[in-house]
Amino acid sequence: MKPRVCILRTDGTNCDEETFYAFNKSGGESKLVHINMLRSGEKKLLDYHILVIPGGFSYGDDVHSGKILAVELTSFLKEQLQEFVTAGRPVLGICNGFQVLVRTGLLPDRQVSGKIKAALIHNDSGRFECRWVKLLIEKTNCIFVKNNESEQISLQVAHGEGKFYTDPAALNKIEAAGQVVFRYTGDGSFPTAEYPANPNGSLNAVAGICDSTGLILGMMPHPERFIDQIHYPNWRRGNQLKSQGEAIFRNAVNYAKEM
Amino acid sequence: MIQEVRVTNRSDAGDPVGNGLLYDINTFLGIKSITEIRTAKIYRFENISKKQADLLAQKLLAEEVFQLYSLNAPVLQGAQRVVEVAYKPGVMNPEAASLLKAAADLGVHADAAGSSREYAFYGAKIKEKDILAIIEHLLVNTTVEKVVDQAPLSLIIRGNPTTSEFIPIDQMNDIQLMELSSEKLFLNLEEMRLIQSYFKKAGRNPTDCEIETIAQTWSEHCSHKTFKAKLIVNGKEKTPLLKRLQQATSETRHPLVLSAFVDNSGVMDFYDGWAICGKVETHNSPSAIEPYGGAMTGSGGVFRDVLGTGQGAKVIASTDIFCFAHPDTPREEIPPGCLHPQYLLRRVVAGVRDYGNRMGIPTNNGSVHFHRDFRAKPTIIVGAYGILPRERCIKGQPQTGDLVLAIGGRTGRDGIHGATFSSGEMTERTTEVNSSAVQIGHPIEEKRVSDAIIKASLAGLIRAVTDCGAGGFSSAVGEMGSQTGVEVALEKAPLKYPGLKPWEIWVSESQERMVLAVAPENLDSVLEICSLLNVEASVLGQFKDSKKLVVNYLGETICDLQMSFLHHGLPQRVMKASFAKKDCTDVKIIPPPADLSLLYQRVMGHPNVCSKEPIVRMYDHGVQGSCCLPPFSGIDGDCPNDSVVLKPLLGYPYGMVISHGLNPVLNTIDPYYGSLWAAAEAVSNAVAVGANPEELVLIDNFIWPFPDQESLGDLDRAVDACVDFVHATGMPFISGKDSLSSTYRGSDGTLLKIPPVLCISAFGRITDVKKTVSADFKRPGSSIILVGKREPEQMGGSTYYELEGLEGLLPIINLEIMNLTFKRIHQAIGKGQILACHDISEGGIAAALAEMCFGGGIGVKIVIETETRPDFFLFNETAGCFLVEMDSGTDFKTVFSGVPHIKIGNTISQREISLYSGDNELFRIDLGLLIEPWKGLMQRVFNA
Repeated sequence: MKPRVCILRTDGTNCDEETFYAFNKSGGESKLVHINMLRSGEKKLLDYHILVIPGGFSYGDDVHSGKILAVELTSFLKEQLQEFVTAGRPVLGICNGFQVLVRTGLLPDRQVSGKIKAALIHNDSGRFECRWVKLLIEKTNCIFVKNNESEQISLQVAHGEGKFYTDPAALNKIEAAGQVVFRYTGDGSFPTAEYPANPNGSLNAVAGICDSTGLILGMMPHPERFIDQIHYPNWRRGNQLKSQGEAIFRNAVNYAKEM
Repeated sequence: MIQEVRVTNRSDAGDPVGNGLLYDINTFLGIKSITEIRTAKIYRFENISKKQADLLAQKLLAEEVFQLYSLNAPVLQGAQRVVEVAYKPGVMNPEAASLLKAAADLGVHADAAGSSREYAFYGAKIKEKDILAIIEHLLVNTTVEKVVDQAPLSLIIRGNPTTSEFIPIDQMNDIQLMELSSEKLFLNLEEMRLIQSYFKKAGRNPTDCEIETIAQTWSEHCSHKTFKAKLIVNGKEKTPLLKRLQQATSETRHPLVLSAFVDNSGVMDFYDGWAICGKVETHNSPSAIEPYGGAMTGSGGVFRDVLGTGQGAKVIASTDIFCFAHPDTPREEIPPGCLHPQYLLRRVVAGVRDYGNRMGIPTNNGSVHFHRDFRAKPTIIVGAYGILPRERCIKGQPQTGDLVLAIGGRTGRDGIHGATFSSGEMTERTTEVNSSAVQIGHPIEEKRVSDAIIKASLAGLIRAVTDCGAGGFSSAVGEMGSQTGVEVALEKAPLKYPGLKPWEIWVSESQERMVLAVAPENLDSVLEICSLLNVEASVLGQFKDSKKLVVNYLGETICDLQMSFLHHGLPQRVMKASFAKKDCTDVKIIPPPADLSLLYQRVMGHPNVCSKEPIVRMYDHGVQGSCCLPPFSGIDGDCPNDSVVLKPLLGYPYGMVISHGLNPVLNTIDPYYGSLWAAAEAVSNAVAVGANPEELVLIDNFIWPFPDQESLGDLDRAVDACVDFVHATGMPFISGKDSLSSTYRGSDGTLLKIPPVLCISAFGRITDVKKTVSADFKRPGSSIILVGKREPEQMGGSTYYELEGLEGLLPIINLEIMNLTFKRIHQAIGKGQILACHDISEGGIAAALAEMCFGGGIGVKIVIETETRPDFFLFNETAGCFLVEMDSGTDFKTVFSGVPHIKIGNTISQREISLYSGDNELFRIDLGLLIEPWKGLMQRVFNA
């Protein structure tokens, strides 16, 4: 049985089709679901095994990136979301999806509360930037990177509001709980605060975090943009022959198969 | 009563907006008195309680983890000066709708909402004149923005609907006719007289709506009078320009062309039942007075062109090509009424960025060119490319009884007279008179519309679709109904605010609107799709078998025109053109420079050669997951590739290649050879990455001064160049656009002609994206081969000669040899014999070599024959030539048999470039000394 993947769409979603393809290629059965279908009751979240909030500019990222969608989710789909999470089903937020997850409260605390413990704020550069970065995969219980611990991978970032920011107490809590999944690294595999290796000035070079159970992952880089060898800008130089974004989708699908 | 919420970052969270502005103030205005800038967003809501405002502040506007807020009180403390900047009333602020939606989701229902930004300036010695300079040059574009001195009493725009008026044209003499035309209709006397006699025959006077409809339909922008005109060149009649291009195209009988020049974009066959299409547009006039909104709406417009192709296409790529004066041009050299190029460049880039990125369309091919004579008006070119099912790639015809369905954004007063205004010259008064012709785009609205159209199209629910571009409903509905006839009830059009005159609704160019022809039985399904995707849709009327354009407003007929008069009543213009062949033969030959490596650095730092990476990084070029040859590659990701290669069908090997070429410098010297160069460069760029020259098609964009005899003579020569290129290569033009208003007229009568630009875009298909190459050198020890024909002494128009202020022989391209060179390069790449390839353009071999070295992190040793002039060898810019890296074992002589080729050196592991004349070393330079000037300029302009 192929796990059904709900790729949540709304006004301004724009990485949905490549995410759709990434999950299908990884053995899932992708479905594009507009939020209006969930609000009207035409579709139910629990009909799906994996929930993905893809990248884009939901509602233009007005006020804050992902904010308007986060408000809509917490206002109208709170129960469904909480149900989905409690049922132990994986949730993935990529770029704008990550911004939505922190603004609903699902990250870092898996609560659809609208209480914001950590935010993704404007890049230090003040600019939207699209570039390839190196990432270190930390040791965590995150099911999306199962067996990929301490690998270093390259992915593309494309965002203007990707600086992971929170107060020292919350940051320590996230670190202590081992919820940091990805960090921006420089040459060698050391986390860095230096631009452009750390493209936005994220605290502790955080590029992605998960919740305490490892079932909810939010990340700024775009794994769906590296599911084919030729996505890598330097594939012609002979290195990097593995498509390094694919494992994330495959792990999620494999986990869902065993749920 | 209005509630105000002010939100600012906690100091430890920083203020990138403030820091960025401070950088600009220091860098571009040289003002040092300001030590810090803090910014705050101001949100205003009409008719909610303070308690509700506080709820919104906490749940929507301010995030405690990094922000502070205040209610109806200042939030930024202790500043010497605080300035609030907001959009003018009536200029649509895209954020307002989101604010109302999110507030409603939280149970707070406001009558209206708005947002603006507040800048707090800190510094003991700030002078008022500093603040005024900052406001004028960096903060406020008075076309759309203003400084808020007093908080608004209401955010709601009120107005009373007015009716249509008759214009007493029957009584008018020629002077009065031209008064009516000038600054509004931009029609000439002959055309005004035609209109007069049409209505005399009809025995009545026209309504304002009818006059506006005719002016829009007959505008240069919409009807291309010059390109269709009967031409008398130096006393001899020649085929009209457009006809020449179309004939050349049809003569090629190119098997892949599916539609050329007839649709919103040109369409060619792709693979597996799919077709790809391309359209390139200019948006010079709006961008000249409001670069951000102008570039945004330029992108939005060309995206809708692709969206409106056939029965609806998905936009898969965007390109951007700009021409400005040098960003460091002294302010006193900028003509009155014109904006500074440094401001224009940064704001245009921001506009393209914000539209393409938010719509999720990768912007991954483009270029920026600089020439002093763009100081009065920039050239802004935006392209869009799409994919659609082959069976739906031909435009549908509305049938009698089909409904006119308008979907997308609402109609406002914005963008009125865009079509007519962009057909006129730019003057000092352009800014004030035509400010209504500019607006801010709303990419999210267009994304919704695009999702809806593609969904409806794939379901086969659309008979015909077209975009609301120049001329608004008037153009879209008028053209769609031109075969049948159409009747519209204009009051059905949803408005942004009340008070628009009927004719304003009719010709308004409000963005993000499309018009569909839908069979009555399909209406409900289309409406269902629209409502699911939050797209507003309204039936405006019906196509009738009347051959008439009838517009009613609240029961009163305000327009009743014969389609035949509207679309065929415009007589073919007869236009005189002349050109005198410029003589560039007796040019003085200067001795080679003493210090070649210094010249090398100067050329690398020239704005036309320097790296544009900081611009490209701001564009999302990876979205849609289709990019497989990005704008930049190489070990540090800073080596520019000649074209972009996309894989529009995920999971298939098929590639689409997109490239372009232009050379304003050369074009100004000689439009024929400049135009040949542009075409050769466009195709070379595509071939250099692996494109098959037999599967490429072309798009032309002529951006020309107002067509007086001389400029028209130049235009004629440019078109001849295109036609000769088509004949020599068999590559067809399948779409094009002319914009003939690149002239500036000052109040003192001074006339400034902007350099004539011909931009050629090329796109095509590639069987397997793995058979493509990048420009970065792959390894030390490879051979470097120069392939293609060039005469090194033909240095005219080169960057080197421009730097030295020299005239020279023009690079003459041998089309036959060029064509064969294309084939050889393509074959070699297909066989995997080429490791890296870069075509030769601005900066010559020197620039190409340097970029390939940067990408590989390695160097080269170049050896030339003793009799070769090293400066000509390095800096000649003849298009159609290539530098290729090949394994030293490959027999390049066989690979390139039949075309000129020579091995010029080898790659080496040292990061340096050295040039030898025989055994004699002429120079040796470290890559770092070339990278610095090459990257420096744009890094400074964009604070990267």
